[in-house]
Amino acid sequence: MTREEIYGKLNEVFQDVFDDEDITVNDSTVAADVDGWDSLEHINLIVAVERCFGIKFTMGETTGLKNVGEMVDRIIAHLG
Amino acid sequence: MSLVSSLFLVFVAAALLLYYVVPKSFRFWVILAASLAFSAFLGFYTLLFVLVSAVLCYLGGLLAGPSKSNALRNAAAIITVVINIALLCAVKYYNVIGLAAERLNLLFGAVNGANKFFLYAVPVGMSFYVLQTTGYILDCRWEKIAPEKNFFKVLLFSTYFPQLMSGPMNTYANLSEQFEKAKEVKFDLSRIFDGAVRVAWGFFKKLVIAERAAMVVKMIYADHQTYTGWYVPLGVFFFAIQLYTDFSGCMEVVIGVSHMFGIELPENFNCPFFSKTVKEYWRRWHITLGAWLRDYLMYPILKSAPLIKLGDWSKAKFGKKNGKKVPTYIALFILWFAVGYWHGGLWNYVIGSGILHFIYIVLGMIFEPAFKKIRPKIGADKLYFRIFQSVRTFILMLTGFVFFRSATVMDAVDMYAAIFRKSDVPLDWANFSASGLDLANLIVMAVGVLLVFAVDAYKYRPGEDEAPKSAIAFLRSKGIVLLWAAFMVLFVATLLFGMYGLGYDSGSFIYARI
Repeated sequence: MTREEIYGKLNEVFQDVFDDEDITVNDSTVAADVDGWDSLEHINLIVAVERCFGIKFTMGETTGLKNVGEMVDRIIAHLG
Repeated sequence: MSLVSSLFLVFVAAALLLYYVVPKSFRFWVILAASLAFSAFLGFYTLLFVLVSAVLCYLGGLLAGPSKSNALRNAAAIITVVINIALLCAVKYYNVIGLAAERLNLLFGAVNGANKFFLYAVPVGMSFYVLQTTGYILDCRWEKIAPEKNFFKVLLFSTYFPQLMSGPMNTYANLSEQFEKAKEVKFDLSRIFDGAVRVAWGFFKKLVIAERAAMVVKMIYADHQTYTGWYVPLGVFFFAIQLYTDFSGCMEVVIGVSHMFGIELPENFNCPFFSKTVKEYWRRWHITLGAWLRDYLMYPILKSAPLIKLGDWSKAKFGKKNGKKVPTYIALFILWFAVGYWHGGLWNYVIGSGILHFIYIVLGMIFEPAFKKIRPKIGADKLYFRIFQSVRTFILMLTGFVFFRSATVMDAVDMYAAIFRKSDVPLDWANFSASGLDLANLIVMAVGVLLVFAVDAYKYRPGEDEAPKSAIAFLRSKGIVLLWAAFMVLFVATLLFGMYGLGYDSGSFIYARI
């Protein structure tokens, strides 16, 4: 799966979790850029991303991702 | 050894001198020796406790790290974490353990303290330590870090003396990076001076403000049969001042001392009394505890299979928006129970520092959609509403402080009842100053509180996760003379007005007793 394809699916996940069809994310997007992305909603997002891509983030990844770019890097690594 | 003592200052000065005199490659050993010496000053059992616990932490980390079978890794992580939690419980219930041991000793024939069968000793103030070492083991298991092979590095991580008793809590990744950087730090007078200003600010907060506020707190909390009516909110208000200046003062000393060694520790306070909501307050008060419990307790619970299944079920039952809140509320309840328990292991802490805040935060979440609709109609962008939000949050915090400072839950409930009881001791100046806080002392304290408020107002940034501005950097930017003047004012004011000296027993930091 290419990075662009991952972003296509990831945007849908973000729009669904945060109930906002206008959200588009990129490598530098961080929690402060998305309305409602707080520490509680973070886990809902992580679980939704895991289900969408059929992967499982480690707890280290769950708590250590600095931006969406890092999330995509980890998704690519998990997809092998 | 108290952090607010001349002995501690001499200890730091000696350690600093040695630290910068020896070759850089020996600095690690100087800081480790200083940390072990500090533990030894706290008592033989504290030293024993930290040594045994560090060995456990080291082995637990190695066995929980990669390249082992998952079964072994899980077993190592679970066993060591359980032992750590058991140690935490032992620390929390040392009174109960001591009482049980004494009763058993009597049964086994102990007479007047002699012929004891059960010997017991539990070091106090190890709550921060236990959580930090538990975090290390979990980080190894979750592959956030590679297990450290050098035992002495783990030993220093777990015993680093400025933060040993009161935090701020740190991760191995952060602290080990700081230790590495510190090896290359050059001796710099301005670094030492900046640290000294923070230490002076911490001493000022503790000795000039907190110790004065404590007089009123002691009088009212100890006897709310006599001191009823308006005395009660007054006592709780003074306790808020005492707790904030005590704990944040302690952090100034810890972070300032560590800065002198070139080891930067995370901030634990970020102008908490300017918070708009209770949720925001907890992102600004005792920040590192909240972050620890979020990363090591709440996230694993929320990400566990049973809660994910529950979330799927509740979303199907109550709709997507409401359903996803069910597991969140359960995880929040566990989190706040843990926060309360960690503060003292008794129900007054569980309620006053835990469950009550859980209720406020969940109510805030439930009513948030309604608040969103109302806000534009009531001029929520105006200054008066902003002030109202901070005052409301502060009052909600006070409701918890009633429990926090009381001896038991029933004591706290009675204190609430005392608000409505008529007082035989009218609230006038003569009765108030019976606490020991006469007019001169009250003025000194009030000036100190205003200074703390002014500094916080300068440091405040509206973003709750934004780092506060540095008051020291501001003073330095205006010229070194101003920074020196600030230091001298704090130093002289603490010497003149600090509650210390012969015949006066300055209380230890509240959070160093946790």
